[in-house]
Formats: sequence, C-alpha cells, structure tokens
Amino acid sequence: MRHVLACAFYCVMGIVFNPSVRAGAATPLIAAADWNAYKQKFLDPSGRIVDDGNGNISHSEGQGYGLLLAYLAENRSDFELIWSFTRTELLLRNDHLAVWKWDPAASPHVTDVNNAADGDILIAYALARAGKEWGEPDLVDSATEIVKAISANVVYQHEGRRLILPGASGFSAKDREDGPVINISYWIFEAFPVFAELDPQTGWDGIARDGLNLVALSLIGPKRLPPDWLSLKADSKPAKGFPPEFGYNALRVPLYLLRSGVTDPGLLDPFAEMNAAGAVDITDVETGEGRQALTDPGYRIITALAACATKGTPVPAALKSFAPTLYYPSTLHLLGLAYIAERQGGCR
Amino acid sequence: MTPARAILLTILVVSAVGAYWLLGKDNDETVFSSIEDANVGGRESQGSPPTREIDRTQHVEDGLAPEAPRPNLAQAEPRERPPAPVATSSEAGSVDETALRYFARQGDTKRLQAEIARLRALYPNWTPPADPLAAPTQADPRVDVLWTLYSQGKYAQLRSAIADRQTREPNWQPPKDLLDRLAVAEARERLVNASELKQYETVVTIAANSPALLTCSEVDTLWRVAEAFAMTSRPDRAKEAYLYILRNCDNPGERVATVQKAVPLLQRDAIDELLATERPGADGQGEFAKVRPDMVRRSVAAGVAEPPAPVPEADLKALEVLGQNSGLASDALLLGWYYLRHDDAANAQTWFAKARQVEDSAETSQGLALALIALQKPGEAENILYKWQDTSDELRNTYLAAVTNLLAVEPIAPIDPIILQRIVPVVAKAKDAAAAQQLGWYAHAFDQDQTAAKWFSAALQWKADDEPSAYGLAVVRMALGDKQGVAELQRQWASRSERIATIAEPQVKTAATAAARRKAVATVEGGKMVMPEETVQTETSPHNRRGAATQPNLQGCSKTDLYSPATGRVALSRGWCLMEIDRPMEAVAAFEAALQTNSEAVRRDAAWGQSLAYIRAGLANEAAVAAAKTPQSRERALDLEASILSLRATGFFEKKRYAETILALDQRARIAPERLDLMAMRGYAYLSLRRINEARQVFEALAAAGDPQGQRGLAAVRATIDPNPQD
Repeated sequence: MRHVLACAFYCVMGIVFNPSVRAGAATPLIAAADWNAYKQKFLDPSGRIVDDGNGNISHSEGQGYGLLLAYLAENRSDFELIWSFTRTELLLRNDHLAVWKWDPAASPHVTDVNNAADGDILIAYALARAGKEWGEPDLVDSATEIVKAISANVVYQHEGRRLILPGASGFSAKDREDGPVINISYWIFEAFPVFAELDPQTGWDGIARDGLNLVALSLIGPKRLPPDWLSLKADSKPAKGFPPEFGYNALRVPLYLLRSGVTDPGLLDPFAEMNAAGAVDITDVETGEGRQALTDPGYRIITALAACATKGTPVPAALKSFAPTLYYPSTLHLLGLAYIAERQGGCR
Repeated sequence: MTPARAILLTILVVSAVGAYWLLGKDNDETVFSSIEDANVGGRESQGSPPTREIDRTQHVEDGLAPEAPRPNLAQAEPRERPPAPVATSSEAGSVDETALRYFARQGDTKRLQAEIARLRALYPNWTPPADPLAAPTQADPRVDVLWTLYSQGKYAQLRSAIADRQTREPNWQPPKDLLDRLAVAEARERLVNASELKQYETVVTIAANSPALLTCSEVDTLWRVAEAFAMTSRPDRAKEAYLYILRNCDNPGERVATVQKAVPLLQRDAIDELLATERPGADGQGEFAKVRPDMVRRSVAAGVAEPPAPVPEADLKALEVLGQNSGLASDALLLGWYYLRHDDAANAQTWFAKARQVEDSAETSQGLALALIALQKPGEAENILYKWQDTSDELRNTYLAAVTNLLAVEPIAPIDPIILQRIVPVVAKAKDAAAAQQLGWYAHAFDQDQTAAKWFSAALQWKADDEPSAYGLAVVRMALGDKQGVAELQRQWASRSERIATIAEPQVKTAATAAARRKAVATVEGGKMVMPEETVQTETSPHNRRGAATQPNLQGCSKTDLYSPATGRVALSRGWCLMEIDRPMEAVAAFEAALQTNSEAVRRDAAWGQSLAYIRAGLANEAAVAAAKTPQSRERALDLEASILSLRATGFFEKKRYAETILALDQRARIAPERLDLMAMRGYAYLSLRRINEARQVFEALAAAGDPQGQRGLAAVRATIDPNPQD
C-alpha cells in the first residue's frame, strides 16, 4: 500500500504540471463527424442528452458529458443548446446544484430534487473550460457558482480527508449507518485544477490529492478493483444496499485518472490486466468473480488505454473509430478518443 | 380583452436572499387606447388603476394616510404621464422594433401587444407605429428564423442558432432586443420550474435578476414570486407582491385569483389589506365578493384544526349566514364540527342536523351522532348511525360509542328489543369490550344474570385486563350463587382488584356496581362523550342502584321528550331527573305518565318512583297507594313500607299523637332496623305518654350507641321524674 500512496503524490504532481488542456487547437479533439454521429443519436433538439439505455431519461451527468463533448468538438452551437436546457430544466435547486433526473414520461419531468455530484462537477467543468476558451464570462460565472455550491454542499471532512459525497443528502456518516459512502467514479480529476482557479478558497488541489488516496484505498478484493459504492466507516468496504460490484460506475475510474494525467501503474494495473480478455468485466469485488463481460468498444477503450499507458500495449485500431451504440459507452468512447487525440495518437 | 400592462418593478437586491419591491416605472394605458378597441378606453375612464405617483405617495407615507376611494383619485388626477426615468430613457429612434414588426407580420396579436407594452415601459417617449404591418419588411430574413424560434418557445434552439451564426459570421451581432427577450423567456421557464419544485430561493433569485418578469402581463410569475416569499418566511414581501398586482393590474379574473392565492399564504390582517383594494365589479358588487365566503370557510376550518386557531366572531357569524343560505351541506357540516370541537354540542347538533337534511351521508350522520352523544342522547345517535356503521372503522367506533353510552344510560331503562337485536351482532363482530361490558350490566339490571355472565366473559376474552368486566362477572356470579366462580375470580384478580376481593360484602356491591358503570362510558375520537359525575346519594337506600347512579342534570329533564318513541321510558327518565333536582310533585306527574305504558318493567319502576316521590313530598298515604299500583319486589316493597311508616310516625309525632307514633314505629321495626333518629322519636313518644321506664331504656340504648340524643333524652327523663333536681 505504501508504494501506492507515494505514487499518488507523484500523480498529483502530474495533475498539476501536465498541461492537459490544449487551447485553440487547429482541429477539435473530437472529430466533427464523430460528434455529429453522437448527437444524431443522443442529443434531442430540445437540448437534452438522452440516456437510451435507461428509459430515455436525461440527467445532470448526461448534460455535463454533453457539454464537455460539445466543447471538445468545438461546437458552440450545440454547447449552447445543451446549456440552455440544463440551466432552465435542471439548475433549479436552492443551493445552485442541479437536480439529477429529468424524465420525459413523468409530469412534472423532475420528480426528485436530489443532486448527483458527478453531474454537478461535469457541468461546472465543461462550463469553465468553454467559458475560458471562448471568452464567455457568463459561462465562467455560472461555473464558479456551481463549484462553490459543490464545495459548500458535497465536500465533506472525514477522518482528516476531504471527500466528495455522491449527493448533498443521504450519504454522510450522519445519514447512513455505514456512512460516509462514496462513489469513487465521481472524482473527475481533470476538473479539480480548473476548480482551483475558479474557487481558490476551497483547496481543490488537496481534494484531488485525497481523492487519489481514496482511489488507492478503494482497490479491494482479490482483483484489486474498486466497488461502485464504498463505505468509509472504519474500514473501507462495499456499501450496504448496493451490489459489491466493480460495475458501470467504477469502470470509468481509469479513464478519469488517465485524462487527468495520472499514469501510475499502482492505480491503473488492475484495469490494464482486464484488457487482455478483450472485455470489461463487471466483477464481484469480494470474490473476484466476473458477473458480466462488457464488450462495447466504449468500455473496452478504457482498459485498452490503461494497458497502453502502463504497458505500452497499442490500442486496437477497431477501438479508434467511433460508431454510436448506447449513450453511456458511446460517451466514454468519445472521451477516450479525445484523450488519444490530445496526445497526438499516443496514450500517455 | 385586457391590455397587457408593462408596469415594471425594479427589484433592488440588498442581499443574497432579500429583495425590496419598489415601484419603478409607470404603466401607460394611453398607448393601448390607440391600438385597443373602444371598450378599453371606455373601461379606463370609469375605473383606472392608480398612477405611479399615487403609489409612490402611499409608499412614502407607509400607509399612514387612509387611501382615498379609487374613482375619486382617478378623476382628481389629470392623466399625466410621469417624466421618464433618466436611466432608461432613450431616443425613440433607437428603439428596436424588430420583434414588434415580426409579431405583426405573424398576426400574433397577443405577443404584439405585449411587445408594445414592453417597449412603452422601457421608452416612455416612444410612439408605436400606427400600423406595424405597414412597416418595411425585415432586412435580414435569417433573423426572421430566429424570431420564429422565439415565438415557438424553442429557446434552447434559438441559443443554438445564434451561436451557430456567430461561429460562421464572427462579426454578426444578434439583435439586442432578441437577446433580452430570450433571457427573460428562459428566466421565466426556469422560475416556473423552480417554483414547481418548491425551490423558493431560486425563484426569488431569478426574479431579482429579471425585473421584466414582474409586470402585469406576467401575473403568474408574480404569484409564484409572492408564494416563494411567503414560503420562505417573508410574508411582508409576499404581501407587497400581491398588493402590487392589486394596485396596478386590471384583469378582473387575475385580481380575484390574486386574493385567492394569497388567502392560504398570508395572515388575516394582510389579507384584509389586499381586500381593501377591492374595486366595484361589473355587477355592482365588490369584485372580491365571491372570495370572501372561501376566506370565511378557511378561517372557521382553521378553528377545527389541531391545534385550533382562534376564529374571529365575525367569520363564525358570516359562515352561519352562509350555512343558512348557501344550501351547501359542507357549510353546515363545518359549523357542526366547529361547535362540537368547542364543546357546544347543542349548536353542533343544530348544524349537523341541517347538513344531514341536505345530505344524508356518513359524515353528516357521524357528526350529528357525536353531538347527540355529547348531549346524552345516545339512543338517537345509535339510530342515526346504524345504517352507516359498516362503512368505516371510524364510523363503527362512533357507533359502538353510541351503543355503550346508550346501555349506560342512568337510570337504566329497557331498550327496544329491535334495537337491542341489531346492536348485539355489531358488538360481537367488532369484539368491543366496552360495549360488551355494558351489555353485561344491562342484562344484570334486568335479572338476566346468565346472559350478563356471557357478556362479561366475552369482554374479558376481548380485553383480558378489563377489571370492570371482571368485577361485573363477579357481581353476577354472586347473584347466581356461583361461589366457586367468584372465588376463582378473586384468585385471578387477587393483587389487581380490591373490590373483587371484597365482593362478599353486599352493601358495597350495588354502589360499586353503579360506579363501575359510570367509569365504563366510552370516549371516541372527534367527539366528547358523556362522563357522569361521581355523586354521593345519602338519602337512598343501599339497594337503590338507580339512585346511586343518577347524576344531577338540571338541563336534562326538560329535553327528554325530544327523543325515542318509547315514551314510557322517556317519562321514567324525566321522573328520576326531577327527583334529582328535588321537584317531587313534578316527578309524581312524570311517573304517572310512565305508568300509562304497557311495559311491566317500566310500570313497576314508575310506581316505585312515584311512591318515593310522594314520600319525598311527605305524603305517606299517597305513597302507599302508589306503591300498591304494581307488585314490587319484596326488597323494594319492604323498603317502601319502611319509608312510609317512618313518614307516618313522623306525622303522628308532629300532631302529638304519640300512641299512633309508637304503633307506626313498631310496625316499621318489624321490617327494618330502627334508625337512630326514629329511636329518639320513640323515646320522646314514650316520655310524653309517661312510659318512663321504656323511655329510659330507649335513651340508654341511644347513649350507648354514642348518639348525643341519648344523654339529652336521659336528662329529659330525669326532669320528668324530678322537676326540681336541686332538692
């Protein structure tokens, strides 16, 4: 464990010093054709990203991804479309965070005013980057407001660490017997240096550092994989009421690490090892048993990138071309491709 | 048709959460008179809203000066346009009429009017084009596309389209007017969404940043903002928002709705301020006339809630007028609940009965029954509730409460067998221990002790720790001579009931039985049940369980003739009641009425009662006649005869007929132990007859019993023998 923590520190240095944001690029990090294919399938004309694997609902995470992808595709028109919907339909909470779910079949469309921290982080991050690059102070102001709201409502002190709770209510030590409970895939590490600029008081570099330690802590069980939902009470273990699974949430963790510039094998190896099998395995973290092999290229590119970054294994050509499948893997796929484009075809 | 007004509110944000309502710019109807039809001008001339100057005055004076009647103000004030605020004044030439012309071309008159109003408010010196349609066509047809998106409410797409064109043509600027309007439209949507989700801080923040949303053409937004203030503990801000609408906006429906929306959110005095802005309606009545009844209903309903709010007397009276005239069962019902809640069962009965006349429903029947139970008329309550008892648990419980009270009526009286037959299966099905216990006492009272034992046993089966039922069972087992059964109960309840342990002492028995009955009277949620007072009856014989159980009820005597077809029972109750308030001759008449019935049990009780009433009146012969009217039980007969002989002895003694006094006392002594006061009478009678030895014996016995009359009597004896003791 010690080497992991030492590495974690090194990795943070990576975050701070690795200039991952490429301003004013000649060609967008997401190709126009890929974005067009994506939006054709998942972007409703009203400006909402449709989660077609989940009853065609929309959510703050999807809107955040949509904004980030539109920004990376340098499509201001689509960015404005998604932002207008996000602002008027989701950014409604008194605390300036977004309600997490919007259901076209429900009336009213929002029936649950809870937030989801990853959605809030993605929205604020995309707004901040777009606002800065496009010289739109209004977008930066909106980002700043959300970042401060995240700091005030979901950043949580626990045993000397600062955590990001999955939502403003329901996850703290006070709210749950096994609390605090975290979702480690809600640490979108690439956003934190940007947040630190907008909100210097909160100390986002420290939150990032604590986050890398938490990633190391969350690698549990025979395969050293993080569960989607982790209880931090006393010992870190899968949270009650959730399957003890490395699942659809946690499979994003290596992608976020890589995109933020973290290439530490101590953190990435468990995911890189999964690459050889050609699928991402939903895994019972306690037994190490695989439950479901996910072969969508959007999932596979994540482990392929981990293997590429840690072992130099080339990313298969088939994963480098994009064809939309379902909202979630397609989104991850485009983020993976943007990562490669940012490194001019390389993977670290 | 109502002109949209464009009275802008400037919200001065003084803190993150607080916004002050200040009146900023004036509306100006003259704009509309050039566009609107003649109706508008005609309406304006008779009842115009106040100008900004008036409102500002009101603001400055902070309500110190009473507001003058509106029509006078409107006539007194020349319709002068106030000077345009410097900050927003603008050359007419620079006014962007793009939207106006677009809407005109689209034939969208509603938006056209709103846009004209908006521009008038922004630029007071601007004059709208006489014919917007005649204006030159839009120079840039691609801007038309944007306006189309705007008019279709596709704001996200419009944002997208603007960004798209800016990307293609970096030097192109969208019309500022379009951007402004788009921002307002998005803010409106966001405000409505936040309002629907009760995110009130967000609502207030959006409103503070979008003063254009706070105009008479955006009344819905104003309502939502007012609600947000009210729901975040800022009732004064809410009131100001409502007042703003009422002082400035003309749409009659929206004005009434404004008050209706305010009623549940504001205190009464604030509502009264809103009502003070009332204008005469088209029908000559005040425009809020139809709002007031709802307010009154709400006010009285709050007085029924938990905890009850105080209800102004005027509201109560107003609802009573409504209850008389509206013909709505709900109004009468509400009054019924109100009075029941406030311990006025008589008024409650009146209103519930009225409600039930209009609508014989479970609720009206339940209310009426509860009032009747409170008025000690459980028989009527039972009768009303029977057909509803199966509709809900609550009604079943109320019915059982009526039954329990009916069975516990004192003095006990036979219940119509038809009624009794329908009560029994309901009690059995509900397994109601309280009612079962009362059925036990009822059966016991009519000497059906086997049946009584079954009911007490059933009550104990349904409620194992029910001591009163166990006691009842012990009482009837005693009566049945079941000593083993009594002993068994005494063993079971050894540590839990003293009275079961001491049940063998008969003089305790009957008084305790009555007390047990009184304690058993049930209570039920929503209505106050009768709980008879504990009264001590010193004059009645220990065998008279009725006397022990009857409580004074001065009002009750005169009301009994209202209920139940069983007139004999009614008259009987009335007789006992009159006895309680010591009006024996009226009681004699009541018992006489009861004697006219066919029921043997009632007749027997009536004769007994009448006899006791005569005794109370000191009429021994009449008492004897009454006692002979029906055969009484031996116990009662002896009791009566003893009382009559006491009365006779007293009468003879007062007439100095001492031999007859002794005779009467001797007769009485054969059937009852002689009371100490009668012993004294006997002593003096002997003394008067100069039967000195007998007199001394009597007084010595009295003295031995510790009675001071004994020593006094002995002194009298000595004085009679020796008038001069000094010698």
